[in-house]
Amino acid sequence: MDADTALRLALARPESMAERTTAEWAPLLAAARESALLGTLWHLADDAGLAEGLPEPVASHLWGAALIAEHRSRALVWELHGLADGLLSRMSPGVVLKGAAYLAAGLPNARGRLANDIDLLFPRNEVERAEKLLFFEGWSGTHHNVYDQRYYREWMHELPPLVHQNRGTTLDLHHNILPETFRGHPDPARLRQQSQALPEPFRFRILCPAHLVLHAIVHLFSETEWDRGLRDLYDIHVLLRHFSTRDGDAFWEHFVAEAEALNIAWMAERALWTANRLLLTEIPAEPVKRLARARAGIALRGLGRWSFVHGLHTRAGSITPRRDAVARGMLFLRGHWLKMPAGLLARHLFHKAFLAEKPETATAQPQPEQHG
Amino acid sequence: MRIADLGLARLQQSLAGRGLYLRTGPFTSRIQSPIASVARGIESLYRDFEVADNSSFYDFHCELRAPRSHRRFYRPQVLFLSDRRSVFKPLACQQAYPMLEWGLNWCIANQVPYRLVLHAAALERNGKALILPAPPGAGKSTLCAALAHHGWRLLTDESVLVDLATNEVSGPARPVSLKNDSIRVIRESCPSAVLSTPIADTLKGAVAHMRPPTDAVHRSHETARPGWIVFPRYRPGASIQLKPRAAGSGFMQLIANAFNYAALGTRAFHSAGRLAEESACFDFTYSRLDEAMQQFDRLADGR
Repeated sequence: MDADTALRLALARPESMAERTTAEWAPLLAAARESALLGTLWHLADDAGLAEGLPEPVASHLWGAALIAEHRSRALVWELHGLADGLLSRMSPGVVLKGAAYLAAGLPNARGRLANDIDLLFPRNEVERAEKLLFFEGWSGTHHNVYDQRYYREWMHELPPLVHQNRGTTLDLHHNILPETFRGHPDPARLRQQSQALPEPFRFRILCPAHLVLHAIVHLFSETEWDRGLRDLYDIHVLLRHFSTRDGDAFWEHFVAEAEALNIAWMAERALWTANRLLLTEIPAEPVKRLARARAGIALRGLGRWSFVHGLHTRAGSITPRRDAVARGMLFLRGHWLKMPAGLLARHLFHKAFLAEKPETATAQPQPEQHG
Repeated sequence: MRIADLGLARLQQSLAGRGLYLRTGPFTSRIQSPIASVARGIESLYRDFEVADNSSFYDFHCELRAPRSHRRFYRPQVLFLSDRRSVFKPLACQQAYPMLEWGLNWCIANQVPYRLVLHAAALERNGKALILPAPPGAGKSTLCAALAHHGWRLLTDESVLVDLATNEVSGPARPVSLKNDSIRVIRESCPSAVLSTPIADTLKGAVAHMRPPTDAVHRSHETARPGWIVFPRYRPGASIQLKPRAAGSGFMQLIANAFNYAALGTRAFHSAGRLAEESACFDFTYSRLDEAMQQFDRLADGR
């Protein structure tokens, strides 16, 4: 079995890991490493009672990745405590989004997940106040040129990322879950109104279950880079399973209604199809039927689905690298097309190509001699 | 089967095909490359290493090849790919072999989350590990190469592996990297050492690699207990000096030289802490290798 298929199967049916041969494990680990899913696989194997039976080096790699995820989670929770107790307590509580939210709410996809940064949602007219308060706790902006400032503050749904000056943690302040210029625009007040208080001691809120899943969906299906897409799809898969098991039809009812109310039913339709196709997520007939109205026309639908499937292949584990590259190119164009109207997009790409400063060397590839 | 039994033709064939599965201590690396100098380098320097069959598990997947651009023809370059992704800036093609060594070091530094990985050399004697952490230019590799031919078993020149639970020290026993003057120094002081032809004009000057002694390769699975942590400093003309260093300050230097200390958090803290406590820590200044060897003999004998 090829590595990508084996990885998806391991995520969908953890007990399948028992059938992997030694030769299959190495490329499977490479694909999981690329998708930041090694730590997740450790917990899945452990829960399925397979950890003892794994080949020794496989168990080591998975266990080690879970250690790193555990340490990173602890550090992130510590940051959240600090934020909750600090100057932000002068404002009405913000909503924690994505990785930090899964962690704070103890959702099942949080274990083994490598959470990178903290995302907080505030009302648009308060988000810059939060930015000012956080400055006094050592958080400061990263993008200093005029164009980038305008890009974020006028067109995007978040401020330029903040980085803590001592610890290097990244913090994104959002006022919506999609850019201002995006085609189809959710009403952020709706997200905040239905949000729920996190259990003590966090003085933050979390999106309601339907919105939580929809945000994970929006995050992946509006992306221009699908590099770690499989991890995002796995979030969607686990959250859907978790909430639909817990709340049954009531969850699905609310999910579809909110997808429609937020103008993102079309993204939800694509996400449910992709999760079911690639991770065997169980989805009842009713939501599929109701979301069918939001489907693309037959030609675009096929092309879209083809590019989602190929875009979610890994570089390390795919057996169709050329087709994947085409799909990644299509997803890149699609993401930009959705993000901005044509005129603005042309202007933005022109700026990035000819006027913008080239990215700093910190993100560039290192010299190999550093490892000699 | 070992590299020596394989022969150059079959070695080249596996490298150009599905890959050479090379065992180095606890790791297996799958290496693919059509480049002749890579095959010749492996044939000479990894002579005693074991080859696994290609249904085995591998920890790292490396590939060295020309970029798919005009630079494969015009002033040809080489890329190092890990898991099919290029991780470094390209180098001139004649540096392909050192790039393999640097790339394998990168793999250990970045893809081994289940050990504390220290940027240091290590050797073993009487079951105890001597760890030599040092910034570049401190003479770590020169000392390491000389000690490997002077009664100490080479564990590693670059990446020390520390078991997070037991604190056993080990290493992949791979070739030792020598630069500039140390190439001549090792040739003169260790006549039995086998060195690759130096490659001039790398960013670090001339670079050659030393074949690990056969015994070190055959015993690369044997771990060692923490013994000594010595911070070497080469100072031209200086007489040797071995000065004890407090465990606390040794610990601080250890974690400054650990690749994954920050990623592993508390476990790395306790592991490095125990390692510093169980070892005797020293600062060591030297200029002459023969004097240094005698000093390390005395250290091993507890004199």
